[in-house]
Amino acid sequence: MIRKKAMEQIVNSIGNEIIISANGYVSRDLFNVNDKEKNFYMIGSMGLASSIGLGLAIKNPKKRIFIFDGDGNILMNLGSLTTIGSIKPKNLVHVVFDNSSHESTGGQPTNSNLIKIDEIAKKCNYVNVYLVKSNIELKKILLRIKKNNGPIMILIKIKKGGNIGNRISIKPEKIKERFMKTLR
Amino acid sequence: MKENTQKKIFNFLVKSGIKNFVGVPDSTMKHFIKEGITKKKIIFTTREEEAIGICTGMSLSGEPSLVFMQNAGFANSLSTITSLVELYKIPLILLIGWRGFLKNDAPEHEKIGKIQPQLIKSLDISSRILNDKNWKKNCEWAIKKNSQGKLCALIMKRDFID
Repeated sequence: MIRKKAMEQIVNSIGNEIIISANGYVSRDLFNVNDKEKNFYMIGSMGLASSIGLGLAIKNPKKRIFIFDGDGNILMNLGSLTTIGSIKPKNLVHVVFDNSSHESTGGQPTNSNLIKIDEIAKKCNYVNVYLVKSNIELKKILLRIKKNNGPIMILIKIKKGGNIGNRISIKPEKIKERFMKTLR
Repeated sequence: MKENTQKKIFNFLVKSGIKNFVGVPDSTMKHFIKEGITKKKIIFTTREEEAIGICTGMSLSGEPSLVFMQNAGFANSLSTITSLVELYKIPLILLIGWRGFLKNDAPEHEKIGKIQPQLIKSLDISSRILNDKNWKKNCEWAIKKNSQGKLCALIMKRDFID
């Protein structure tokens, strides 16, 4: 499974929910798969999608907050898992697309296949953690999380590849403004 | 800065509508932080960039938010400030403890303390230095900046050696 396929499956299942997407190909894929006002695309600030998502989850307890992260991104801000796990927002769903590489910068390897991000999340008080390796498994988990509380992590093992989508053509300030309107 | 002033600053900011205080501890502002802990209004993070990320999420939710940090942490955060806070125009108040302000402060703070004013200037962040007399006026200035959607910094000098 490649990231774009997994992402299509997720956005079709969750519908019009808030998504904070990490910089690089994660945000670019989301933009090309399903651009909407409730997406907050991070362009820079690698590692911080989960932190922005946490701030949103704390302040919007009645809304589900989805974080679309990558393995390189979460490895850069592992401390974020400890802060999320200390606060335990029930409405936070942390999706990590894990291809064990920094695909956006040329496919250099990360260490995610040498360690266990899902186990780290469990030890950091994520209450529901799923390791997913196929579309069929992902389908099941997407149904299951509709009823489950967070913090949830879905770690999806994906392969590199697929066409690289266009860069995000919306100006950062505009991304912010249209996103904020949907929270009011 | 006096213990009492630090407490007053915290309470004044709360009274003036600042809802969230997120950051990494710094001894320069320990009384400010203690007051925040007492009032159950502080979130500690592992790094300063993380605090800026969380406050960004809170700011997107419409709540005025403050990130507190030492100047060492400010230096950690340069890329986050330029590629998130400034790029998306997120209105945050940064409260920065100025280690290395005194010449005989600990050696690890010497360089960063020396270049801090230039760093802040290079990033085009408007800032004010707090003291026991001007704190209220400068906090009002920061709150106004925040309400105008602008990033700004308040600096607290480390004026003691321990």
